[in-house]
Amino acid sequence: MLTEQSAYTNRWRQVSPVAKGCFACSGIVAACAAGSPRAALLAALIISTVTIVGAGIPTIRYLRVAAPALTFLLASALSLLVSLDFDCTTGGMPFHLAKSEFPRVAAACSRSLACLAALLFLALTTPLSDTISLLRRCKVPDTLLDLMTLCYRTLFVLSEAVHETMVAQSARLGYATARLSIRSLGGLTANLTVQIWQRSQALHLAAEARGNDGTLRFLENRYDNSWQHAIIAAAAGVLLILFVVIL
Amino acid sequence: MTKPVIELKNVSYRYPDGTAALTDCSLALVRGSRTAVLGSNGAGKTTLFLHLNGLLHPAQGKLLFDSAPFDYSRAGLRSLRSKVGLVFQNPDSQLFSACVREDVSFGPMNMGLAETIVRQRVEDALEAVDLLDSADKPVHNLSYGQKKRVCIAGVLAMQPELLLLDEPMAGLDTSMQEHLTGILDELHSAGMTIIIATHDLDFVYSWADEAVVLQQGRLLAGGSPTEVFGRADVQHELGGEPFVAEIARSLSLLGIDLRDKEYIPRSTRDLLKALSMHSTKQEKCI
Repeated sequence: MLTEQSAYTNRWRQVSPVAKGCFACSGIVAACAAGSPRAALLAALIISTVTIVGAGIPTIRYLRVAAPALTFLLASALSLLVSLDFDCTTGGMPFHLAKSEFPRVAAACSRSLACLAALLFLALTTPLSDTISLLRRCKVPDTLLDLMTLCYRTLFVLSEAVHETMVAQSARLGYATARLSIRSLGGLTANLTVQIWQRSQALHLAAEARGNDGTLRFLENRYDNSWQHAIIAAAAGVLLILFVVIL
Repeated sequence: MTKPVIELKNVSYRYPDGTAALTDCSLALVRGSRTAVLGSNGAGKTTLFLHLNGLLHPAQGKLLFDSAPFDYSRAGLRSLRSKVGLVFQNPDSQLFSACVREDVSFGPMNMGLAETIVRQRVEDALEAVDLLDSADKPVHNLSYGQKKRVCIAGVLAMQPELLLLDEPMAGLDTSMQEHLTGILDELHSAGMTIIIATHDLDFVYSWADEAVVLQQGRLLAGGSPTEVFGRADVQHELGGEPFVAEIARSLSLLGIDLRDKEYIPRSTRDLLKALSMHSTKQEKCI
């Protein structure tokens, strides 16, 4: 929901998604092209600064959105660095630091960080509906995009259904004890399964009623100065790539 | 008599679980009319609407649009659904896109119209329901009433000849209901045929030209609201009669007849006007 909020309210809401997509792609290319971990880290720093300062995303919100991914990255890095030794033939600690792995882990982590920054840039500045129409232009198969559209919309409908059911259950003491909580959660899951089925039926009917026969088609948003923005973004992207390659 | 735009002839339908949803229903709706479909829950109102939009095929009987039987081929249904717009009761089960403007464009895009035309229609539809300000908002941030208006705009953008609304007033506050009534009045004066399924007897009495009452899938009564609500079996089925009709009847029992030739007050405002006119008349007599 935080991502969603930023996507609709950031300073670059009215900038063409082509431009934003272009810059995000350049970010990923720069991450892969970076010659050293230092260069990749710099790329990550530049992209996140552009997101925070340029698009006006509050730093705290940025970090909160990035937190799950960062935790995951930290866990992976640790699992690469630390290896367990159950034989204990060497004596001492049962785990040890694989120092030889350090350069590889640093390279992987810095690149992941740069890629994450690039993806967050797109996610936090562009509403998903714009991203989907951008992907449609890039000739991504319609079935995939329809799935994305429906999943995205259903996410909100279902989270509301979950919330309402949980409130209704709590009102009748459904979560009063641990035992009851497990029972209620089971009830919630069963109820949601039926609701999902019914809602998908209803959506199908509604689509048919509005003359749909397969692909979900929508009008694309129009943006002013789309080309200028795309050119600026592409130029910034090329600069970023050159910067990390030279560094 | 004016030719009906849409007709049901002895239509019967049974759901796969065996429930008889419609039994031998015959109905004819005149172009430009305002019809209200009444009936208790499960009486078959929604099933009737699903038939009118071609989403359900009758097991028996037939449906006609402009005197021609419904064409259930792919192209036929496409053309039918662009002429008969259906707005469902629950907005969350009919909004697809996360963005208001995009969702409204869904119907006209399905009709295969050119982008410039779609764009114009979307703007017009959003203006008609007074939602231009929220056009770029995500759907899930809207209120229930706004979502309902987005659904109506989504169907209006298809510029149908017939508009079917399934319980449009349910869940709306009084001011939103008045707003919606205003929108419906505008559409009616633009010549659109409107059919509404509702439980609101007072609204039907003041708004509709024609009232249809369903009872367990059968047509119990059909005709002008004054005529339909005057019937004892209808009152019994619907659990009462409109407030204004009840008051007018009670007053006439007290010797105060508010009817003026053909005119019968059908809304609270009309009733109050008739009462004040009646008292002025009485004063003049004295």
